[in-house]
Amino acid sequence: MGSLISGIIGRTLAYSVPLLLATLGEIYVERAGVLNLGIEGMMSLGALVAFAVAFSFSNPWFGVVAGGMAAGGAALLHALCSITLRANQVVSGLSLGMLGMGISGVLGRNFEGKVLGATLPVYRMPFLSSLPGFEKHNVFVYLSLGLAVFLWFVLFRTRWGIVIRSVGENPAACDAMGINVSTVRYTCVVFGGVLAGLAGAYLSLGYRPSWSYGMTGGIGWLSIALTIFAFWNPLWGLVGAYLFGLLYQLSFRFQAHVSPELLNTLPYVFPLIALSFVSRLAARKRIGPPASLGVPYKRE
Amino acid sequence: MKRLVVALLICAVFLWFVVSGNAEEGKLKVGFIYVGPVGDFGWSYAHDQARQIVEATYPWIETVYVEAVPEGEVEGVIDRLINQEGVDIVVTTSFGFMDGTLAAAQRYPDKIFFHCSGFKRAPNMATYMADFHQVYYLNGIIAGALTKTNKLGYVGAFPIPELKRHINAFTLGARRVNPNAQVLVRWLQTSWYDPAGAKEAAESLIAEGADVLAFTEDSPTVVQVAAEHGLPSFGHYSPMYKFAPDFVVSGQLVHWEAIYLDFFAKVYAGLYTSKNLENVDYWWLLREGAVELGADFGMPINPVFEERLKSTIVNDPVYGEISVYDLVFALLKAMADPEYAFSPFTGPIRDRKGNLRVPEGVRLTMDELITMEWAAEGIVGAWPGEPE
Amino acid sequence: MREPIVRIARRLEPSPEMVFLVSVGSVIFAFLVSGFLFSFLGIFPTEAYRVFLNGAFGSFYALSETIKRMIPLALIGAGLSVSFQASVWNIGAEGQMLIGAIVGAWVALFSHLPSPLLLPAMFILGFLGGAFWGVFAAWCRNKLAINEIITTLMLNYVAANLVLYLILGPWKGKTVRGFAYTDPFPKEAWLATLGATRIPLATLLLAIIAVFVCYLILTKTTLGFELRVVGRGEKAARLAGINIGRVVSFVMFLSGGLAGIAGVGEVSGIHHMLRHPAHISLGYGFTGVIVAWIARANPLGVLASSFLFGALMSGGDALKVSFGIPFQVIYILNGLVLLFLIASDQLLYYRIIFRHGHQDTREEDYGGVVD
Repeated sequence: MGSLISGIIGRTLAYSVPLLLATLGEIYVERAGVLNLGIEGMMSLGALVAFAVAFSFSNPWFGVVAGGMAAGGAALLHALCSITLRANQVVSGLSLGMLGMGISGVLGRNFEGKVLGATLPVYRMPFLSSLPGFEKHNVFVYLSLGLAVFLWFVLFRTRWGIVIRSVGENPAACDAMGINVSTVRYTCVVFGGVLAGLAGAYLSLGYRPSWSYGMTGGIGWLSIALTIFAFWNPLWGLVGAYLFGLLYQLSFRFQAHVSPELLNTLPYVFPLIALSFVSRLAARKRIGPPASLGVPYKRE
Repeated sequence: MKRLVVALLICAVFLWFVVSGNAEEGKLKVGFIYVGPVGDFGWSYAHDQARQIVEATYPWIETVYVEAVPEGEVEGVIDRLINQEGVDIVVTTSFGFMDGTLAAAQRYPDKIFFHCSGFKRAPNMATYMADFHQVYYLNGIIAGALTKTNKLGYVGAFPIPELKRHINAFTLGARRVNPNAQVLVRWLQTSWYDPAGAKEAAESLIAEGADVLAFTEDSPTVVQVAAEHGLPSFGHYSPMYKFAPDFVVSGQLVHWEAIYLDFFAKVYAGLYTSKNLENVDYWWLLREGAVELGADFGMPINPVFEERLKSTIVNDPVYGEISVYDLVFALLKAMADPEYAFSPFTGPIRDRKGNLRVPEGVRLTMDELITMEWAAEGIVGAWPGEPE
Repeated sequence: MREPIVRIARRLEPSPEMVFLVSVGSVIFAFLVSGFLFSFLGIFPTEAYRVFLNGAFGSFYALSETIKRMIPLALIGAGLSVSFQASVWNIGAEGQMLIGAIVGAWVALFSHLPSPLLLPAMFILGFLGGAFWGVFAAWCRNKLAINEIITTLMLNYVAANLVLYLILGPWKGKTVRGFAYTDPFPKEAWLATLGATRIPLATLLLAIIAVFVCYLILTKTTLGFELRVVGRGEKAARLAGINIGRVVSFVMFLSGGLAGIAGVGEVSGIHHMLRHPAHISLGYGFTGVIVAWIARANPLGVLASSFLFGALMSGGDALKVSFGIPFQVIYILNGLVLLFLIASDQLLYYRIIFRHGHQDTREEDYGGVVD
């Protein structure tokens, strides 16, 4: 029983990493008032570039850096369209997603089926490894967990966090106070892209060390839903990502006893059910989307 | 408004500039239609490898291919292949293309159609399939000998007869040398290509004690997961030896080109025409060379495991005292025999509910094989569509 | 406050010719840029353009394939343009379409209705099925305060799993040798096609009707006025005494229902069975979002934008057939077209002004969403 539980926890942690990273990134993007629907494409691009670079240089860390940078660069395109050009963010995000999937698919042809020499290392953490399910993990597992806490702290306990949230709520007031709205938004959008790229790098260098088109498998889309599920709070993002990962795990563990199709829908239905309980509460406490989400800002 | 009309006119004139393409004369032109991308390292990849071999082998053939065609769009793609590219033979490589291919065959009675894994034929439409059940049986024998926990894991994409037949063969093989062996099954039920699902399914099998893995999914994920845990596994469809050289024991490899080379040659020779394909159905197995046992081409069993399999002696009902290694090759020879000397589905075989599915001495026919729904004794796990 | 070096100012309302010319120009520009892509793939760009244009418009057949692809996009796009006018972000057309397909398949396979009633029942119930899937998301927003983006997105997955469950379980066909498909529909449930083409006549007409009905609803009815007010901002709408919940339910009902019709049209016009969800929806739901946006959420414009994307799909098929290119090239092509359309939008409405000389007082600064 103990090994069963620690096994489930361990797999949940490993599976949820890309979902968590992408969600954390999107939370920051949306907190600053920009919606980016192109996560799947950025993640795919990050996964390919990370793999290609790691493969060519036989060093996974080069790959991680390159994957993050590539996706960050792609996000820059979205930032340009949605912040400077003030284009519709839904469409700009969708087109970014298409480009990301398309470019990674076409450029990635030569890397399909290649075997990676060096993958991301697995560590035992001194204190954590005594907990069930934490025995040993890819470094990204710890990184994403710590990042969630850190990003929560930054967002709600530091001046930077106040600036980011204010830009998403009332950019005009921020502007009047001398905050450069564009800079804050650009930074957050690119940061979100980098995290999506790192999520991709984890997939292609750690979780399943290889590249093939479609390996992101809809994680980017889910992270958009999880961002809302998390009420734009990194800690709830952590809960949401792990909850989804747990349900996904259970769908395989209990297949012998419950219909697989029903189990397959659980990860998608359960967040809705959970949300229906908490969202009314949240509405009363006035936790909604950032007021200026999706609205381009222009000085009056 | 006037400017709008002018703009529209300019567009129209621009479009008139298009002219139609033309096909090369003198060669037999074949168009291949794949359901997945050619780089997916599974089904479509294997068909495309075969296409390249065909083109390299026969100087009188020219091929084109279209990848990732949605099942409902196949008719349109066939139209374009015939009208735009001028192909003479259309090869459609997915069961879901069946009705569209048949409709096109009726619309183009002079063209020849070749459909994989279906059962509908026409005077100008033949069918073909290379099946793995014999190879799975041999994989099962090896797996049954290698397991220490007596639990084998199997990740399957969809619970359809093809996979059920393969898992049954795998189980029968395993229990031939290890009567206590169980096969734990996990289904993905999402897509033929789902690496994340395959990974978590494989992990859950390992967590339940499975120490040898086999699978049907279009990526080497399960092989990689098994290797991470230091467990042996079997490749599927493509040579997966290189993904885990110390852990891939064997696997199933396909040679679609065996079928293609035969069929196209007969068309070229005038033996097969658009009038006489009504009963042409290739169901090719080991003896025809359409499938191969191996971790890689030409490597039936990974040398890493050779010693272990040679030193494992079993008491076989047919061959008596024999090493597993020799048993595998003896059966391989028997199944490659032109007389079809041995079939894994020779009775008596009971399903896991105790029903006698194959009576003593009876051998299942091809029709019974391709409609198989029951689960053999020793299979554990969900089995959608299991008959009472 | 210091005047920035580069400033963007809004133009006065652009003329329709200008909108048309700039849009066409940006599509052409996207194609010129994609020439690099084709060169990269070893294809001479003009050869690729020829095949593409030929494959999308070059013959009666090519045009018919373009229109066939256009139909579901027009149905979905028309509904979504109404929903976007109300600022309701329905990105669940993919799932609503699948529910329509499921309901249509149920009627075709199991209702045993006599043949004159069969097809109408498939469409009516399919509409209601898709509408139900949409209204459920509206209900979640109205009653439970759950954002419709999350519900519609999640319900896409639920619908896809439902299709899988049906084709692998209770609806698995008796005549498909255990593969995951339903039996083929009886012939009475097949849509008649237009002449020698594969265009289902009924859905073509329905798509055109849907476009005009949506246009009339938006421009000629009180409801249309109300939903545009809601789209401008909920606060103002509430002040005006508009029942926002009712408006949200209505647009989700309409857009979901039209997506449902698209789903019925696909299964009864093209597939004649229920099959793996990915092969039915083909991303039409997401492309529909883009189609509605390019049309500036104007249902009449949807006719043009869905035609454009139908052409991209069918011309893309021609490219795949002629050159055996990776299928993702089509995504890049779509992405580029969109990107340049977005950029051209700015050309239309804004002028870049450098800081020197005087400011033209006829131009107003602009601070909101383009609609």
